[in-house]
Amino acid sequence: MTRHTGNDDTDTTEESNGTNGTERHEEADDGTPAQPTVPELGRDEQPAIFVPDDDEDGTTGASAGDETDPRTATDGGVESATGGSDSGDLSPDAYDPIDVFPEGDLDLRDGADSCYKCTSCDTSCPVAEVDDEFPGPKFQGPEQWRLKRKGDHDIDESITSCSNCMRCDDACPSSVPLSQMHNEARGQFVEEQMEKLSVEYIRNRILANYRTSARLASMTPRLASFAMNFGPARWAMDKLLGVPKEREFPEFATTTFREWWRDRGGAQVSNPDKRVAYFHGCYSNYNTPEVGKAMVRVYEHFGYEVLVPPQKCSGTPMFANGMLKDARRHAETNVENLVEAIGEGADVIASCTSCSMSLRQEYPELFDIHGIEDVSEHTFEALEYLRIHEDLNGALADARPEDEQAFAYHAPCHARNQGLARQAVETFREVDGVTMEDVGDSCSGISGTYGWKSEKYEKSMQIGEEMFEHMEDADGEVGMTECPTCAMQMEHGTGYEIRHPLQLLEETLVA
Amino acid sequence: MDDQADVVVIGGGSTGCGVIRDLARRGLDAVLVEKGNLTHGTTGRMHGLLHSGGRYAVSDQTSARECMEENRVLRDIASHCVEETGGMFVKRPEDSEEYFQQKLEGCRACDIPAEVIDGEEARRREPYLARDVEKAIAVPDAAIDPFRLCVANAADAREHGARVETHAKVTDVLVEDGEVVGVEIEHDTGPGKRVHREPGTTEEIRARYVVNATGAWAGRIGEMAGVDVEVRPSKGVMTVMNTRQVDTVINRCRPKGDADIVVPHETACILGTTDEEVDDPEDYPEEEWEVDLMIETLSELVPALKDARTLRSFWGVRPLYEPPGTGTDDPTDITRDYFLLDHDERDGLPGLTSIVGGKLTTYRMMAESITDHVCEKLGHDAACDTADTPLPGSDDFSVLRDYMDEFGIRSPVGRRSAQRLGSRADEVLNGADPNPVVCECEGVTRAEVQDAIEGAGSDLNAVRLRTRASMGNCQGGFCTHRISAELAQEYPGPVVRDAEDELYQERWKGQRHALWGRQLSQAMLNHMLHATTMNRDGDPATTDADVDFGAFDAGTGPAGADGSEVDDATTGVTATDGGLDGDR
Repeated sequence: MTRHTGNDDTDTTEESNGTNGTERHEEADDGTPAQPTVPELGRDEQPAIFVPDDDEDGTTGASAGDETDPRTATDGGVESATGGSDSGDLSPDAYDPIDVFPEGDLDLRDGADSCYKCTSCDTSCPVAEVDDEFPGPKFQGPEQWRLKRKGDHDIDESITSCSNCMRCDDACPSSVPLSQMHNEARGQFVEEQMEKLSVEYIRNRILANYRTSARLASMTPRLASFAMNFGPARWAMDKLLGVPKEREFPEFATTTFREWWRDRGGAQVSNPDKRVAYFHGCYSNYNTPEVGKAMVRVYEHFGYEVLVPPQKCSGTPMFANGMLKDARRHAETNVENLVEAIGEGADVIASCTSCSMSLRQEYPELFDIHGIEDVSEHTFEALEYLRIHEDLNGALADARPEDEQAFAYHAPCHARNQGLARQAVETFREVDGVTMEDVGDSCSGISGTYGWKSEKYEKSMQIGEEMFEHMEDADGEVGMTECPTCAMQMEHGTGYEIRHPLQLLEETLVA
Repeated sequence: MDDQADVVVIGGGSTGCGVIRDLARRGLDAVLVEKGNLTHGTTGRMHGLLHSGGRYAVSDQTSARECMEENRVLRDIASHCVEETGGMFVKRPEDSEEYFQQKLEGCRACDIPAEVIDGEEARRREPYLARDVEKAIAVPDAAIDPFRLCVANAADAREHGARVETHAKVTDVLVEDGEVVGVEIEHDTGPGKRVHREPGTTEEIRARYVVNATGAWAGRIGEMAGVDVEVRPSKGVMTVMNTRQVDTVINRCRPKGDADIVVPHETACILGTTDEEVDDPEDYPEEEWEVDLMIETLSELVPALKDARTLRSFWGVRPLYEPPGTGTDDPTDITRDYFLLDHDERDGLPGLTSIVGGKLTTYRMMAESITDHVCEKLGHDAACDTADTPLPGSDDFSVLRDYMDEFGIRSPVGRRSAQRLGSRADEVLNGADPNPVVCECEGVTRAEVQDAIEGAGSDLNAVRLRTRASMGNCQGGFCTHRISAELAQEYPGPVVRDAEDELYQERWKGQRHALWGRQLSQAMLNHMLHATTMNRDGDPATTDADVDFGAFDAGTGPAGADGSEVDDATTGVTATDGGLDGDR
């Protein structure tokens, strides 16, 4: 999988001094890269994979094609990162949907080979259910791609109505790379067809780059929290930018997570054998540092050394708005720093399920940054990781929170895609004094930035209706979810306070 | 003279359609008769390559020159049937360098624009090319849709007064006083558009001249007239891939051999081909090893083919001809040139000429020469204008229109519709509501299907050829019934059912040769859906026999043990088809 976003990247290439293609090839000659150990830092700015160096021995390319997961097989990211090697070997695995179309766009037509038109994706799509104008994921993905020819630049505008909830990926019985197709098509649409001075583009760019706004707002958090929700300001935002006045902006923390981490003096536990690198994402940093703090305390409780590498946005809101160049820029920083942490023995832990989704799936599907496959393989969601490596049920057996608590738990779509939909319920169901009720498998409807667009607001609330009702029916008066924007929607629809499973874990285990 | 027509043309392939158009445009009263659909024989069974001539640049330079000339003409007059893909002759390390140079020189000698590019550049243009492809010669090959091409020729002929009869098999060539005076034909369902279940009729068409343009079948018509036409039919297999792995025609640069070309065609790629002489153009073995050979050998050029999904395979027969006495054993050595056999000169039988050999790329040129010949015979003086006059659909037009806004169709669908319809897009899309899209795989609008039905009667295979509906990855599984529903607006239920069955059968036929992996899953899903939602695994409404409901047992259960308390007939109805709706 190779994406060359072109000239806007060249200026940053030099930072990764000494890690150019040649050196990687030398490494390839050692026969080492099959080991997913310590990748080199830096970015892969190789031309596409099909230009072999004469002296290569053909050991690397095929070995990297991971057969266990059809999705990885489709994109085969590591292969492209090694610059392409074998030549005598004509294994089709060695050929990726590399940039067939101009400007380095991906060619995902072969993904249509897996589609049987069964329409499971369409019936699982929350947007298609409420929006009659939206043709659904099957059209957006395999059908639209199959109709494409080289040089075609007319992605249907309806791609901008896809909320990127990725439920279609989960629904597909045949591993069609739906969300990859959607992300790429949306990226091409925004790049080629969207008017860059349009209000919609500007609004989407602002929404997608939440980190930038949040960083500014955090400099004067109280003022920002007030100003952003100030009536006339909101009216103007709705009218001028298309940001619905009904929504309340989240409050900005007076102390960000990273400030707290710095003031605290960093890690309190040092343990070279159990290291994790925390990918807190933007929301835990600027808005809900209590989630980040809970992560640190819980992990330190289990004896982990927590690293907090420099990081930028995971890219989730950028993918959803087709801002692939922005996402790539941020990804370069993230991959570089996370790869370094992985080199120090750490696994990557995210407390936001969309962040972990992005690092795990979307990164290798869309970018060819060197080491991106390693990041993907080493990334986990916070609760998931503990459930794999620690005896969480044992630890919770005697624990109980101070007061009896009941929660209405909503599993985010992106958690569902990672197989994590039941983790919070399973973790806490044996804990005395905690009632965790799953409010069902519907989508919350906000899908990150989708519900933050005036023209989508009504639909977003319609999608969320089922979840709101189930929350009202549940015993608990407090909501729980792993996803920050699902939390916004849950709060918006019910008025409940919404918490993260890590906070409950902290309260039960650490306090 | 009370002849009904000036000329009867037998055969609705590219040659016949080209001839009828030319005759009609020159003011002759002409009739085309074809035993199946247009393109039914060889034309509908080719890989859709519009030759640059590069393929024949070493072995047959006359053909090569003609190809290039006609390639230029067709880009112009048949623009809506041609996709300007470009082509390459690629050289692998084991392929002869000497031949590569010969090919290059040959192209230059035949005025075929040829450019040598290195392996890297070739892969830049076509990234899925094998990494060890050393270099390539880029030539102006293109892809052409033979269905649209023939339909457009026939449509233009009709506009100029010709009569076109499909599903009209020639049963006899009328010879009176040592002269051919016409043909006897058998209409499958009466003259005019084909409508299922209409009774067949026979008809004698008398004409001043008869043209035998039946290609591989020319010998049979010759036999009816009592003359020998020694066509040597040669079969070739083609395999259709589900998606396009390449957007350029990829040829292997070596002297000759099986499986050496990949043609991007509409949404698919077509792999070809083999060349093997057969005795009977309608009855020859279609063998799996031939398909395997295609995929195996061509993945040396495009490795992705090995794992890619195949949709179907089909075989075609070339109408190869060699003048008596040449004595070639290997069909690949037989010239691709065409021959006009005037049976008056040859066999002393006036009134009949056969045209054999040739290839689709030069169809118009062949048509021109045979029309010249016929005009001479009939003493008719008129000039040919087919090289300069665009076919219907290929007039100048701009594809830059926003069909999405205008007709409310999604942009990829609008683009495909416009590519298929060419300058007819406005007329057709305005004719009926284009939504909903009927065939999702190929993006075929309702308006196109309605337009095709108007031209083709109840024949859904003819609708398919005109629109590509049902030619995508579900192979009609999700759209055959939708297309039939469009047909049902005009035709009665039983006609629609027959037409539906026929289309679905045709789709199934080709898939049988590609039933593994993902297409097998697709076929199984299609079958289950059709069985469970439309009772197509044995719908009593479609069988002519009365269902013997009494033969069903009463099932197990408290009342059914001895059957005495259950009304057998009632139970049977419910169990078999779940209600009476199926009959409506």
